[in-house]
Amino acid sequence: MSVQVRNNVHVSGSGRLTMLFAHGFGCDQNMWRLLAPAFAARYRCVLFDLVGSGGSELSAYEPKKYGSLQGYADDVLEIAREFGEGKIIFVGHSVSAMIGMLANLKAPELFAAQVMVGPSPCYINDEGYVGGFSRADIESLLETLESNYLGWSSNMAPAIMGAPEQPELAVELTNSFCRTDPEIARQFARVTFLSDVRAELPRLHAPTLILQCSDDLIAPVAVGEYMVRVLPRATLSVVENVGHCPHLSAPSASAHAIDAFLRHEGI
Amino acid sequence: MQTTADGTFLHVNRTFCSWVGYERAALIGQRRFQELLTMGGRIFHQTHWNPLLQMQGSISEVKLDVVHRDGTKIPMVLNALRHDNRGIVVDELAAYVARDRDKYEQELLLSRKKLESLVAEATRLQAEAKDRALFAEQMVGIVSHDLRNPLSAIAMGVAILGRSELFGNQQRVANRISRATERATRLIADLLDFTQARSGRGLSVTRATIDLHEVVADALDELGQVYPSRALTHVRTGVGPCSADASRLAQLVGNLVSNAMTHGAPDQPVTVSSSLLQDSFSIAVHNYGAPIPVESQGKIFEAMTRGAGAPASGRSVGLGLFIVREIARRHGGTAEVESSAELGTTFRVTFPRLPAALDDEGPT
Repeated sequence: MSVQVRNNVHVSGSGRLTMLFAHGFGCDQNMWRLLAPAFAARYRCVLFDLVGSGGSELSAYEPKKYGSLQGYADDVLEIAREFGEGKIIFVGHSVSAMIGMLANLKAPELFAAQVMVGPSPCYINDEGYVGGFSRADIESLLETLESNYLGWSSNMAPAIMGAPEQPELAVELTNSFCRTDPEIARQFARVTFLSDVRAELPRLHAPTLILQCSDDLIAPVAVGEYMVRVLPRATLSVVENVGHCPHLSAPSASAHAIDAFLRHEGI
Repeated sequence: MQTTADGTFLHVNRTFCSWVGYERAALIGQRRFQELLTMGGRIFHQTHWNPLLQMQGSISEVKLDVVHRDGTKIPMVLNALRHDNRGIVVDELAAYVARDRDKYEQELLLSRKKLESLVAEATRLQAEAKDRALFAEQMVGIVSHDLRNPLSAIAMGVAILGRSELFGNQQRVANRISRATERATRLIADLLDFTQARSGRGLSVTRATIDLHEVVADALDELGQVYPSRALTHVRTGVGPCSADASRLAQLVGNLVSNAMTHGAPDQPVTVSSSLLQDSFSIAVHNYGAPIPVESQGKIFEAMTRGAGAPASGRSVGLGLFIVREIARRHGGTAEVESSAELGTTFRVTFPRLPAALDDEGPT
């Protein structure tokens, strides 16, 4: 199976450098459709789906491989090597920001910079560390995912209620977006929310931008501040917004922040 | 109900208020919709609900637990529609309580889990059973093979003893040893054949052109030495060659005669008939004595069935007739039994009479 098929890779735009966009837990590469176009004129833009999400090849999902973030990081390296031209600016949302970090640590020569959107190296509170959640909170999430089983089974596509307010959205988008295999979703949730990669942060020497909303339940500002302290070369940019997806709810502010960062770092 | 883009209540009806135990005033402008969810629901709201609304403008049939003011959880199914009026975003939500659906989902999930674990257990047991069976069969093959040498040493030894002069009881004892050794050798041959037949390769059979009556006569000569005190008659019918495996036929005769000697009336003769007809040939072995019960006759050629009431010294593992039937089958033939008190018991094996051109080797 080709990487293109496995990860539903789409390439657009052109430029000296490549921007590799990685969606996080929840939906798929369509999350980037408000942000990525801002860069297509100047960068080669590569979008993909994590195995188990979106239009990726579900049969490629191996519980053992994807039971840790490194499995996803290895896929990223394969995508980077096959579809990247020039150095890569990795843009990762949520847990994919950590996946990008792991990929970067394994092959630092491939990457020019890391843009972390709503990242968190560890979601569960620890001694002297505020992740934002208790273990019980994460169990509650897994329970929620399990109890909405029927809603997420791939045989029941959510129907559209009335006409979408954005007519430029293709119809095929609406029935596959956020739909995944419930078992895979549950396992991915475990991997994501039980992950702890704080120990790796000090090893990431690539220029890093942490971009997050001011009121984010999943990646609270406290986490962003922690990260900017621990990462060797990082900048924190907070967007005044409620939610976990500034690239969706505030795309132009996000694009500006990224451009400013890249300019400042001379990339 | 209606909320702003960040979830703050703009409008909510009395029904919903009564479901969740909050006054209108406590919700409108005061609380966000997601605050009424469990923590899991709130995370889900950020990772799935918001992006969905953002991207496709609507959500259909998402089930979430909404938390009552007193802390109890109410499963609800939610639908949402986003209205974007020149930058002013208003989300419309419709909710209904879904306790039955929740119960059904729980039961469904439980059944599925139970089924999965049952299947896993069954698969494991099946694999174990297969392993055990394979091991047992291999063991039988190995042991049988290893027993051959000692037995042939015993047979040779007693034959040498028999050549010198024997006094008093010694001849009788020597005969007994000889008979027992013959039985053991036959059993081992049967076991080995049984293993081979079960292995999927099937019993080996090498056909050649033979003289049926001669082959049977030779076999009976040897058997006569094993049962010197018993009457053993040979009846020949028909003439001509036929195509078969001579040593397998001898084995077949040996098994049937041994059974007849063991189970039949000890003071009556055992008669072996070899017959050649136009399109078939057959070997039949007859003995007088107690008949085989009708209920047993159907299963008598199966492996491991023992003759009821057989004397202890004649007890067999129950493979002899299985082998007989296998030999018949491998020649394209059949094995049958007839048994009654008046007429005695006859085992008959019938073979198709094939042309010599189908031999595996040249004439013996």
